[in-house]
Amino acid sequence: MAANKRIMKELGDINSQPPAGCTINLPNESDINNWEVTMQGPPESVYADGHFKIHVSLPKDYPFKPPGISFKTKIYHPNVSNDDRGAMCLGMLRPDEWKPPNKIKDVLALVRTVLAAPQPDDAVETGIAEQFKNDKAAFENNARDWVERYAKGA
Amino acid sequence: MSDSNSTGHSSLSPPPPGSRRSPSPGGTSVSTQIALRNMRRLEARRNMEENHYLTQKARNCNLNPPVDLRALDYVSKYDDNLVCPICRCPLVDPVLLMDCDHCFCRECIRQTWTTYSPLGPKGDCPTCRMPAKLGPRASTSKILVNILDDLVVKCPKSENGCKSEIKRGEVQDHITIYCGYAMVECKDSGCGQSVRRKDYDLGCLHYNVSCESCQQNMPKAELETHWQLQCPDRQVKCDLCSSLIYYRDREEHRKEACPAVNVPCPGAPLGCTNKSRRAHLDIHVKGCVLAKLGPVLDAQKQRMDEQESAHKLINRKLEILETGFTAMQDILSANRSGPPDNGSTETLIVPSRSRAESTATDSTRIASADDYDFPVPPSNRGSAIEPESPPTTNTTRSSTTPRTTATPRSLTSPPLRPAPQAPFPRPTDLPPPTTTDFDLASPFSTTAPGADGPYSSPLHHLLSMHESLRDEMARVSAALTELDGRHSMQILNENLRTRDEIAYLGGQVAGMGRQVHWLTSAQLQRQTPGGSAAAREVGTGASAGGGGAGGSVEGAVNAMSTAATALRGAARVVNVGGGQGSPTSPGMRRGVSEEGRTKL
Ligand SMILES: [Zn+2]
Ligand SMILES: [Zn+2]
Ligand SMILES: [Zn+2]
Ligand SMILES: [Zn+2]
Ligand SMILES: [Zn+2]
Ligand SMILES: [Zn+2]
Ligand SMILES: [Zn+2]
Repeated sequence: MAANKRIMKELGDINSQPPAGCTINLPNESDINNWEVTMQGPPESVYADGHFKIHVSLPKDYPFKPPGISFKTKIYHPNVSNDDRGAMCLGMLRPDEWKPPNKIKDVLALVRTVLAAPQPDDAVETGIAEQFKNDKAAFENNARDWVERYAKGA
Repeated sequence: MSDSNSTGHSSLSPPPPGSRRSPSPGGTSVSTQIALRNMRRLEARRNMEENHYLTQKARNCNLNPPVDLRALDYVSKYDDNLVCPICRCPLVDPVLLMDCDHCFCRECIRQTWTTYSPLGPKGDCPTCRMPAKLGPRASTSKILVNILDDLVVKCPKSENGCKSEIKRGEVQDHITIYCGYAMVECKDSGCGQSVRRKDYDLGCLHYNVSCESCQQNMPKAELETHWQLQCPDRQVKCDLCSSLIYYRDREEHRKEACPAVNVPCPGAPLGCTNKSRRAHLDIHVKGCVLAKLGPVLDAQKQRMDEQESAHKLINRKLEILETGFTAMQDILSANRSGPPDNGSTETLIVPSRSRAESTATDSTRIASADDYDFPVPPSNRGSAIEPESPPTTNTTRSSTTPRTTATPRSLTSPPLRPAPQAPFPRPTDLPPPTTTDFDLASPFSTTAPGADGPYSSPLHHLLSMHESLRDEMARVSAALTELDGRHSMQILNENLRTRDEIAYLGGQVAGMGRQVHWLTSAQLQRQTPGGSAAAREVGTGASAGGGGAGGSVEGAVNAMSTAATALRGAARVVNVGGGQGSPTSPGMRRGVSEEGRTKL
C-alpha cells in the first residue's frame, strides 16, 4: 500500500515533469509496477537518432528493492546485455548499492548518461567493451549500424 | 451488569471459583470479611473488564487493521522537508540516525535494513551511505511530531464512503471508535460476522439480496459497498474530465468521448504531430492544413488505386490489340510486296491512291487534309511520317479508317472500281477520341486530353482502326466474291457462244464434206472407167495420193484440212477461256487464297 502510494507519486511527478528525452507509458493501466519508457538517444552520442524502448519493472517491495531496467530495443552498448532481456548493468541498481530514496527519474537520467558515456570497466558485454576501449571507430560504426537497424522504427 | 458480563465471557475469563459461595474463614470480623469480599469482587471485575477490553481490541484489530499512516491521502499542504525520502509521505514516527542525523520514518528505515540483511535492523544510512544505527533517543523532538500529527488527512475509509477529514494523529481513534464505515461485530451475537458501524443498529444484515442493476447476489451488508465500489452500473467520476459516467462505459468514454483525452490530429498519417485534448481538437483541425488535406488525399488515393487497376486492365487489352495490329500490318505489307501487276484483286486490297499518298505525303498532305486526314496540326505532321515509321503505317491507316457509311456503296460499285475512290471519313465521321490530337507514330503520347484518361484515346483509336479494318476486310471479301461470280458468269457466256460457233463450224464442215462428196462423185461420173479407183484413193488418205488424181480433188482436200485446222483453233480458244475463267484454275486459286489470308 505504501509502496503503491510512492509509485503513484513518482508516476505523477514524472508525468508532470518528464525527464529529458523520455516518455513514460503504462502498457497495462491497472498495473503500475510495469512502466514502458521510450528514450531518445542522448544528443551528440552515437545513439542520438535512436528511440529506445526500455521496460522498467518495479518490484513489490519497491522502493526497498531496486527496479529492473531492460532494453526492449536492441542496442550495441557495453553495459547492456545483448540478449532477449537487454538487461542494463548499473551500479546504482545492484541490490547492495540501491538506496530507497532513489527515484525512477534519477535512474532514467543515469541510464541516459551511461548511453552517452559507456562504462567499459563495468561492462556486461566484454567484447563490446574491449572494442570500445581499443577500436572506438569500429565501435561507433557498429553502434550506428544497430541504431539504424533496430532503433529507427516508428 | 456483572452477571451478563460473567456469562458472556465465562469461557474467556471464568470468575474465581466460589467467589460468592465460599464461606468466609472464621475468626475475622464481619466488616473485614465484607471489605475483603468487595475487594475480591472488584478485582475480579477489573480482570473481567481488562479481558473484555483485550478481546474487543483483538477483534477490532482483525476487523480494522491498524492504519498505515503512510498510505493516507493528505488534505493539508505540507512542507517538502517533512517528507520521508523513502516513502515520500510526511514522516510517520520519525527517527534520527545516529551520526548523520538523517531522518526517516521508523518503519521505513526498519524495512530498508531488513530487506537485505536478515540479521536484523542495521545498515547504512540510505541517503548518505554512512554506517548508521538508531540510538536510544532516536525519536525526534515533540514539536516535529506534533506538526506531523496535525496534518489533516482523509479517513482511510473514504473510498467506502466516509467523508471525514481528521488530523493524522486521530486517525486511529477515528477508525476504532467513531468511523461509521469501520467494521464492527454484527448485533446478532450468533451471526459472528462483521458489519459497518453505522449499520450496526439495523440488526443482522447477513442475508442474501441481489443487486438491482447487475443481478449479482450478495449479503445485504455488502450491498452498499457493492454499489459504491464494484457494481459495473455504478457511477464514477472520470479522473481526466471529472464528468460522471457509468463504470461499465469508462473504457468507451476514454476512447470515444472523454474531452480530456489527448487524441492525435486526423492529419497524423500525413505528418501532423499535434496531439490535443479532444475538446480542443476542433480548434486545431480548423487550422491544420494536414487534417483538411486528409480526406481529400484519401479520396485521391482511392481514385488512384481504382485508376491503377483500370490502367492495368487497359494495358493488357492494349497489348493484345497491339500484337493483333502488328500481325495485321505484317499481312498487309506482305500483300503489298507481292506481284505488283496482278490485276484487279491487288488493286482491291491495297488502294493505289493510299500508296501514292504514302510516297508523296510531305507535299500533298496539307492539300488533302480537308479531304480525309486527321486533324493533326502541322507541327505534328512531321512526327507522323518519321523515318522509323514504316510506310505501311499510312497505308494501313487510310485503308482501315471506319467506313460504316461507305460499305454498302462499295458493294454496289462496279467490280473493278479501286477502293480508295470510296470517300474517306471526314474528321467529324471519326469516333470522338480520334478527333483529339492523336499521333499514330507515338501512340502512347499523353497529350490527348480525352476525358477517359491519357491512354484511352490511343486505345480507342486502335480499337476503331481494328474495327474498321475488319469492316474493310469484310467489304473486300464481299467484293471479291461478287467479282468471282461475275467472272464465272462471263466465262459461262463465253463458253456458250464458243460452243455455238463450234456447232456452226461443225455444220459448215459437214456441208463442205457434202459438197466435196458431190464434187467427187461428179468427177467420178465424168471419168467413168478409172473414176472408182481415184475415188478409193481419196478415201484412203492424201498420203497415197497418186499422180493420177485430178487438180480439183487436190483443192478439195486442201480445203478440208484448212477447215480442220480452224476447228482445232476454235477448240483451243474455248479451252483457254475456260482455263482462265474457271474458279479451280491455279492462278485464280492463288488470288482467292491470298484474299482469304488477308481476311484473317
Ligand atoms: Zn517513510
Ligand atoms: Zn545519513
Ligand atoms: Zn471515517
Ligand atoms: Zn449478522
Ligand atoms: Zn450491482
Ligand atoms: Zn472523461
Ligand atoms: Zn494537425
